[in-house]
Amino acid sequence: MTGLREALWAVLLWPCLLSTSFLLECTDQDQVIHPYCLSISQDKLLDRVMQHVELIFRVSEESCSLFEDIFVPFPLRLQRNQEAYACFTKAIPIPNSIGEVQQMSDKWLLHSVLMLVQSWIEPLVYLQTTLDHYDGAPEMLLNKTKWMSDKLISLEHGVVVLIKKMLNEGLLTTSYSDQGLFRYDMQTDMVESVMRDYILLSCFKKDSHKMAIFLKLLKCRHTDNSNCA
Amino acid sequence: MFPPTLRAEPTARFYPSCPPRLRSDLVGPICFCVECHHRLSKTHAETLTDCPHACRAAMRNVQGLSWLILLVLTPHTKGDLSRPGKPTLTSCRSPEKETFTCWWQPASDGGLPTTYALYYRKENSEIMYECPDYFTGGENSCFFNKNNTSIWVNYNITVVATNRLGSTFSDPVDVDVVYIVQPNPPENVSLSVMEDKGWPFLRVAWAPPRKADTRSGWITLIYELRIRSDAENEWETHVAGQQKLFNIFSLRSGSLYLVQVRCKPDHGFWSDWSSPSQIRFPEYFHQEKSAWIVTSAVCAFIFLIITVLLHMNHGSLKHCLLPPVPGPKIKGFDEQLLKKGNSEDIFNALVVSDFPMSWSSSSNSEDLLVELLEVYIPEERETMLGASKDLGGGSFKTSDSDSGRGSCDSRTLLIDKCGRPKEHEDGAEERVEREDWEDARDDTGGRTWPSVFPGLSDRPQRSLSDGLSQVLGPSEGQVCKQIKARSDIDIAVSGHKVSPARWSVEYVGVQAVVNDDMVILQPWGSGEGCTPPLSSLQERDYSQVKQVRSDDTLLLLHKVSEGTADGREAATSFGNMSQKSATCMNSTAATGGYVDAAAVFPMTTY
Repeated sequence: MTGLREALWAVLLWPCLLSTSFLLECTDQDQVIHPYCLSISQDKLLDRVMQHVELIFRVSEESCSLFEDIFVPFPLRLQRNQEAYACFTKAIPIPNSIGEVQQMSDKWLLHSVLMLVQSWIEPLVYLQTTLDHYDGAPEMLLNKTKWMSDKLISLEHGVVVLIKKMLNEGLLTTSYSDQGLFRYDMQTDMVESVMRDYILLSCFKKDSHKMAIFLKLLKCRHTDNSNCA
Repeated sequence: MFPPTLRAEPTARFYPSCPPRLRSDLVGPICFCVECHHRLSKTHAETLTDCPHACRAAMRNVQGLSWLILLVLTPHTKGDLSRPGKPTLTSCRSPEKETFTCWWQPASDGGLPTTYALYYRKENSEIMYECPDYFTGGENSCFFNKNNTSIWVNYNITVVATNRLGSTFSDPVDVDVVYIVQPNPPENVSLSVMEDKGWPFLRVAWAPPRKADTRSGWITLIYELRIRSDAENEWETHVAGQQKLFNIFSLRSGSLYLVQVRCKPDHGFWSDWSSPSQIRFPEYFHQEKSAWIVTSAVCAFIFLIITVLLHMNHGSLKHCLLPPVPGPKIKGFDEQLLKKGNSEDIFNALVVSDFPMSWSSSSNSEDLLVELLEVYIPEERETMLGASKDLGGGSFKTSDSDSGRGSCDSRTLLIDKCGRPKEHEDGAEERVEREDWEDARDDTGGRTWPSVFPGLSDRPQRSLSDGLSQVLGPSEGQVCKQIKARSDIDIAVSGHKVSPARWSVEYVGVQAVVNDDMVILQPWGSGEGCTPPLSSLQERDYSQVKQVRSDDTLLLLHKVSEGTADGREAATSFGNMSQKSATCMNSTAATGGYVDAAAVFPMTTY
């Protein structure tokens, strides 16, 4: 009897069974409307997050050089390998050497990225306001910083979704921006203000590059691509 | 996760937290404002305590109106009222991957005023949201702004049609924003005609749509353009890739062309074609010079051939194209004789009478350059000379004959100045010499000499002598003595004394004039003509030989000093040299210092 009931349930529910078989994650396709395509696949999501981060990094590079050209006199410019300036994100427990990075697990990589993203949202908003106060700040610079700010918020969502998908974790509620790592006080001295903003932009550039590397490493682990070391 | 099954059952899950006067219905946090069926998402409902005032007012009007209609139409439409038909979501599109809009198609409304609502749910979330903006996208649309758009998650979208009698749900649709990007058409399409080395072409330029953020790389667009002329119906499509510029060649001049451009992101849809841009291609006539040259050359050639063919008859054409083989041109060669076969006659005919020194067929270029020096003998010899004039003149006029007299019979050019003081002694010497001369003369071959010493005088008769006088100048000494003696020989007059005042003329062959002072004298050859005859008188100076430069060259002084020592020495040297030669030399050996013009030229073989 129970067997018959089960069989009956199976017969009644066979459309559901059929539909469940289609409820796999979508393969890559250009058509938009597919009723059974439930969610974006993990690979696609990772690719999008990577592209997002790379774009942010590129724009941060452009912003930094633009700011440097306009506001920073030549002797005060930071050299490429100079470690003299300290970014506020030093406090975040993120591995800095390649060896350390390669030993990190996926979870740790993703969480590092998320931490970085979340800690930069507020400073970028602050940067927007300070740049408005400068005389002669070009429109392009302001647009770029605004763009970065917007995209960073979007990136946060993306990383959260990615973490959820890859690590099967729930939504993270803690936000690192609340930890107040970034402290700012209004500087009256113009030079000080300029230097601080310059360092801020340089730090953001470095951190976004770091994020890109983490994600690239993650990607390499999950693909069979032999290009990755 | 199963897609939620939406059923129009009031007992479906509802949220009891709707404020009063708002009823919850359906799935999710939806609270109804019953009066006007204005649906509010739960988040909105939380802040509301009552339906919006406007909603209530409108609702009353609508309700009143609908009752009126119902009253009017009740007998006819009572049985046709029903729930609304099932709407369908037609499409969702995002112009720049930052916002998107969805459109639906309503079905039948069931005879009652129907309202439509769009609900969406984000992937992996239970929360149902209602469309934030029904107006921006137009009729039956829902617009999602930047804050509501996420590229990280899929959207599950449903449209609900509701009327008084109930609601009908459309099929849910999943939307991935990245894949529904359809940009706006490219903007600022500009057309211009440009020239490339005389050939015009069309350059199409455009800008990406304003909203698409291609600068930062957020969207990558590829472009495509199409062109057709006004007269045609077929479009010609060109793919431009990511560039914003395109050149079109090979267009017909004078035509009107229409151009359109469209774009597409990496994953997405083609935009609409931009509005057509028009341009008229200018008239041009390219002066292709090389083509004209070739064409004209070919035409001219053809024309020429036709002319030739028309005007030329068969024979002459044959003659032109295939000229006859020339026959032999041997002098004395007689074909008839050859045909007869008599070999002796043939060979006799071949023998040329004046071989080898025929002037007309002179093969030796050296001979052509033979020019003679006229040496003039003093006045006493005039008669002698005069007698010989005829001979000399005769020999001048005619070309060489077999008598061999030619050169010797002619006048000499060397002018003897000092014949005067020696007249007594000369007689004997001269007689002796005369005989020698005569002998020598007989042996001369048929040698002639060129008539005129070019360009040196204006007296044609005595041109040679004049020229030589300028070249040689006066000379004295032994030379004259001997010349005088020589000149006597030719004169067939006995014992005539040469007056010192008279000049004797002798001939020397001059090959070339080097300077004013130098004359390259020509050897006579194989002992012929080595004794130039004496002939007419002329008051001239004679030359003294300065030195012999080589076997062929005789340096003569323009003005000779009075001393005869030099002359003697020169003469001596010549005399020595002349020993080497054949007959001429022998005749002069005895004379010692006598410069015999003929003797000067040793035998050289050519």
